[in-house]
Amino acid sequence: MTKNMSRLLVLSLAGLVLCGTTGCSRWIDVKPSSAAQETMTYSLDKNERVPLVTNSFHLSRNGASQYPSADLERRILNSLQETNLFSTLLPLGEKSDSLGEKVISARIIVNETIEPHSWLSAFKGIVIGGSMFLLSPFINLEYGYAANVALELERWDGHVQRYEANSSGAVHYKLFGATPVMIEELKGHVTEACLTDLTSQLVRDTALYMASSAPLPDTGIRTVTVKAKRPGATQPTRSLVPVATATTP
Amino acid sequence: MSLLARIYAVPTLLIITTVSGVQAGDLSPTITVGTQEVGLTAGYLFGHRLTDLHTTKQHGPALMPSWMMTLTDPVGGGWYRGQVSLGAEMLYLEFQEPLVTHGIGFTPRIKYTFVALGRIRPYIEFAGGPFWTDLGGQIPEEANEFNFALTGGVGVSWFFTPRLAFNIGYRFHHISNAGTAFPNLGLNASLPFGGFSFYF
Repeated sequence: MTKNMSRLLVLSLAGLVLCGTTGCSRWIDVKPSSAAQETMTYSLDKNERVPLVTNSFHLSRNGASQYPSADLERRILNSLQETNLFSTLLPLGEKSDSLGEKVISARIIVNETIEPHSWLSAFKGIVIGGSMFLLSPFINLEYGYAANVALELERWDGHVQRYEANSSGAVHYKLFGATPVMIEELKGHVTEACLTDLTSQLVRDTALYMASSAPLPDTGIRTVTVKAKRPGATQPTRSLVPVATATTP
Repeated sequence: MSLLARIYAVPTLLIITTVSGVQAGDLSPTITVGTQEVGLTAGYLFGHRLTDLHTTKQHGPALMPSWMMTLTDPVGGGWYRGQVSLGAEMLYLEFQEPLVTHGIGFTPRIKYTFVALGRIRPYIEFAGGPFWTDLGGQIPEEANEFNFALTGGVGVSWFFTPRLAFNIGYRFHHISNAGTAFPNLGLNASLPFGGFSFYF
């Protein structure tokens, strides 16, 4: 009798440990994985680096336009900073007057797609509840997220280059392993994979963004000296007046 | 009833101290997949004799601590936009009539919360599970102590802060033994309730 009781106790404990460990588990799949990609940086001479200024930042979620997140913008700019291609990176809305004439303008477009599998989760929830939670270690719940990050860089001479990266992922979790943090973790991994891909593409085009890669465009402004002629005995004076002239293409 | 007063005293004090430090703009709750809810609800059970065969007029206080997990982001559109959450509840009942007896149960619980109104969130809920009471076997409606409790109801959560809500509502309560013994007329009751929930 005592032997049977102890066997039952051991089995119950093993069952509890099994349910406790498998019932609280969660894992994240990301395609492509950011770890699989090589993070590239480029060592560029300081004189060859030019500043990058964010001109616009568009964020949409499941096709609906969203208020752009400053955190996301900062994260994208930090990734660009890590490539060492640019001397300064200015976020949206900051003044760029003192940066000189060789400046790269950036347009950032982020499209997020969220697939929460809500109805399936609700159905699985009913099944788990109906089983008095006994099925919770065996039923996976899922939350999907995909991102498309596009970066359009316009060089000071008007040359525009577009870079685009896609990534998607899903968090698989058991009921007792769910936490709001897992969604943030998933978004973080997917965004990181996108940014790693994007910066890799960017580094391949390093030559395009060196200060010596293109001359300053002809602005069409000439400085001419105008001699003012005044009647009488007054001394003639010289003044510098900028005069705009039409440039011929 | 002094027990109920004590149960509410601590959360009420907590709310008063918490709400005073919260700005009006910070109140909209952000409840996402994986957000958990711990609640303490208390109410009073009023029995209903639905047929002539029912003779017991049971009543008494009820206490229902609960835990829930949010399963979905808001689904649907318009007024019915809402979220599904799943959890479990302990149910304690003290029957005052016809005998002072007790009952305790464990019920999985599913809830659909309407989120369109912001801080004020109506919900519908269902719960059901095993329930033990020593009232069983002592009344003509129930033959044994092991029973099942089934409940369905509506309620409203009012978020004082993004993490703390006050709930009030009504449940219809049914206790029977699912035909495991006879007689099995079942006990039916109304259960108005109030309580607090903490989200994290």
